[in-house]
Amino acid sequence: MELEGRQSLAATPEEVWSALFDRDVLEQAIPGCESLEQTSDTSFAAVVKLKIGPVSARFKGEVELSDIVVGRSCTLSGKGSGGIAGFAKGAAKVTLTPQGPETVLDYTADVAVGGKLAALGNRLIKSTAQKLTGEFFANFDRALAVEEDAPAA
Amino acid sequence: MSKDHIGQSHRRENALRHLAGRGRFTTDLSLPRMLHAAFVRSPMAKGRIVEVDVTDAAAAPGVVRVFTAQTLNHVCEPWVGTLDHFAGMQSGPQNMLADGQVLWAGHPVVMILAHSRAEAEDACELVMLDIEDEDAIVDGDAAQMENAPLASDGIDSNMCFQTVLETPDLDAAFARAAHVVEGDFTFGRHTAVTLEPRAVIADYDPSTGQLTVHHGTQTPYQFQDVYARHFGLNESKVRVIAPDIGGSFGMKLHVYHEEMATVAASLLLGRPVRFVADRLESFVSDIHARDHRVSARMAVDADGTILAMDVDDMTQIGAFSTYPRTSAAEGNQVIRLMGAPYKMPDYRGRLSVVFQNKVQTSQYRAVGHPIACAVTEALVDRAAQLLDMDPFDIRARNLLADDDYPHVSATGYQFEKLSHQASLEKLHDMMGYGALRKEQARLREQGIHRGIGIAPFVEITNPGAAFYGVGGARISAQDGAVVRLTPSGDVHCAISVTEQGQGTETIIAQVVADQLGVTPERVKVTTGDTDTTPSGGATWACRGAGIGGETALRAGRKLQAQILALAGAILQADPAKLTLANGAVVDAATGDERISLAEIGRIATYRPDTLPDGCNSSLTAAEHFAPGGYPFDFTNGIQASYVEVDIETGITRLLKHWVVEDCGRIINPLLVDEQIRGGVVQGLGPAFFEECLYDDAGQMTNASLADYLVPMAGEMPDIEIAHVETPTKDTILGAKGVGEAGTAAAGAAAMNAVNDALRPLGAQISQTPMTPLRILTALGHVSAGPKRGY
Repeated sequence: MELEGRQSLAATPEEVWSALFDRDVLEQAIPGCESLEQTSDTSFAAVVKLKIGPVSARFKGEVELSDIVVGRSCTLSGKGSGGIAGFAKGAAKVTLTPQGPETVLDYTADVAVGGKLAALGNRLIKSTAQKLTGEFFANFDRALAVEEDAPAA
Repeated sequence: MSKDHIGQSHRRENALRHLAGRGRFTTDLSLPRMLHAAFVRSPMAKGRIVEVDVTDAAAAPGVVRVFTAQTLNHVCEPWVGTLDHFAGMQSGPQNMLADGQVLWAGHPVVMILAHSRAEAEDACELVMLDIEDEDAIVDGDAAQMENAPLASDGIDSNMCFQTVLETPDLDAAFARAAHVVEGDFTFGRHTAVTLEPRAVIADYDPSTGQLTVHHGTQTPYQFQDVYARHFGLNESKVRVIAPDIGGSFGMKLHVYHEEMATVAASLLLGRPVRFVADRLESFVSDIHARDHRVSARMAVDADGTILAMDVDDMTQIGAFSTYPRTSAAEGNQVIRLMGAPYKMPDYRGRLSVVFQNKVQTSQYRAVGHPIACAVTEALVDRAAQLLDMDPFDIRARNLLADDDYPHVSATGYQFEKLSHQASLEKLHDMMGYGALRKEQARLREQGIHRGIGIAPFVEITNPGAAFYGVGGARISAQDGAVVRLTPSGDVHCAISVTEQGQGTETIIAQVVADQLGVTPERVKVTTGDTDTTPSGGATWACRGAGIGGETALRAGRKLQAQILALAGAILQADPAKLTLANGAVVDAATGDERISLAEIGRIATYRPDTLPDGCNSSLTAAEHFAPGGYPFDFTNGIQASYVEVDIETGITRLLKHWVVEDCGRIINPLLVDEQIRGGVVQGLGPAFFEECLYDDAGQMTNASLADYLVPMAGEMPDIEIAHVETPTKDTILGAKGVGEAGTAAAGAAAMNAVNDALRPLGAQISQTPMTPLRILTALGHVSAGPKRGY
């Protein structure tokens, strides 16, 4: 299943870039995130609770950032296991482009799901994934605004 | 009159009870101290199990026990789905829970037992499975590539079974043929979707060592044998009870991991354990059907005479061959039924049965028939088109003549007597063929695209031991019946064939009634309990009426002789001059009543002291019957389909369907027609709607009734049925099977009809289901998309 999209963010590419690697920002942005732990400079372990159609599950997963071109682009790859709900794995290529005072974030993701998640049909999963992606960026945008407002440490 | 119930329509004895909500299905049963099972299944098509953490699940509310392969599998002898008559066949050993490796998405890994199914399911969510993903074998062609990973352990290649049938003159036939038509065909996977899902309650009593299994199965004796052997129990300590069953269609005679695990859990815990599959897990654990790719060609003479067929069938069966019947039987029948209705002298059939990491496929209603019929009849239609012949004319030229029996087909099948020509003629009249063609031509001028398709077929019924027994399978080829006269003159028949809603019990009552001169209402029939019925094969491969009916007839006649002998002793009369009618012993010459059956029952039961010395007062007769003579009783028939294809949307409307069928002696015309109608619907379902879709990673992507399409009443055409009766001489009764006839050729007739509609547009479809998108693709209205997923 392929997902792609574009999101305008009210921040400079540098600010967006650092937020993408900021545990606190990600924790606020990821829908249903129950815990997020930074396991190295470029990796995180997460527990996320999601409901997809009739399947509700707690996913334990890992996210790794690679192909890093600082301030420009990177690839996030991850896999999560949701117990009997199945699993999800995938990779997303994220590119940042400055546009005036804002930053345009483009992403293309290839996601595979298995178990009950797959059985319930790609239609349901794709619409849910798109909804979750939308929620993520709305939260991310909000978190960025809060970070900007916060006084420099 | 109390004779001649054979041949009359009687309503199914259990229909009112089911309509009134008084069915007694395994799913309805609740036993004291019963636990409920749920399974954690592999989300991946293939992988290595790194860790299974059940700590949280074991502590969850209501959970009594959690089993993994390490704690459960040791009580069960693994099973291997191979048979000796499929030479060179291989399949890995199977056990209840995945051990080390998961081999399809849905493979059970952990079993949780709790006080309710809900609690067991909740605990399933707490199991953490760590499975290292491996490349799955998804496609049968990829499975055969060199260096392809193996679909499971315990096999040396992904080839489960291969065979070739060939007549010596095959190549010469193709060389001298005026024309060769050919095609590549794809038949999708589908599944049974029974109204009642698989259900089992195992109840082991440690104080007596008795295992009782309430099991929604077609074959209770087979499961008694399987449970006894694989769990090391004496057969007498295993009782299998199959009560009302909400549909089976072949799906409920295979050994499944979950049923075996349910029995194992009851043995270990000493209390009843229930497993009823929910609809989602049915899709990823019930057997699937078909999944064939066929390349075929047909050689024809300039006058339309079929000279030969050359067929290559590749069928994809999942990670294991099923047990105990194997997953090779379907493909074996595909290559043996090709061209079966025709005089065709030469033939070559190649079969490759291939492993892959999906749900197992195996026997399902009309095993192999729809594939062989669709391929054969598509090629016959292509030949007719090439030669500008009418589809009826080319078939009339090639069908076996009604006086040309016995006949041995090019694939080795022995036909006792069939009625293709009479059936063809009857169909032609019944459907008003000439008028239909005129209507089709007239509507075409208005841009309405209708099509007519016909498909003769041969069906395999009444199998003897040739099916499975010769290969070493402990699957009974015989059936047994015990018929007794009760003290008040009623009749009871306990018989080994089973009832799944098709009316077995009703027809058995009709057969027995006629032997004993009573009405069927006075005959009570008991089925589906290994403790109370004699041992036998039960219901599969269309044997209930032909073999079960003959067994009942012979047991009934035996009891008839006993009753007449007893009556002779009481009446001081010659038994040869007596007969049974109207619930009494009557004078054979005059029909005058001599003594009622109730009086016979009373005397034999309560006053045997009044009988002459040495007089045998037994009013119970047991008889077993195994078919002799021909290895199978083949039936035949022909179907026609009339469709309208909307070339803008690709949607096909099924306007009408006709069936002419010859199942030999008809015991109950109403139930025979119901069998044919149900069968036709189960043939049209996979022709247009039903398909188990998989993605490239081996995930089934439409495994719910929200996405998987079953045929609904509103989409089905009226189905008109007529009969030719050619009784088999192998039995007294003369009945053959009929349960699979409808399914055998419905899809073939429909595919020919769709192609007839598309023909003027230069389009052709050779893949089922014939979805709107596939039809639009065939028409060139949309470009060919990915191979799967539409």
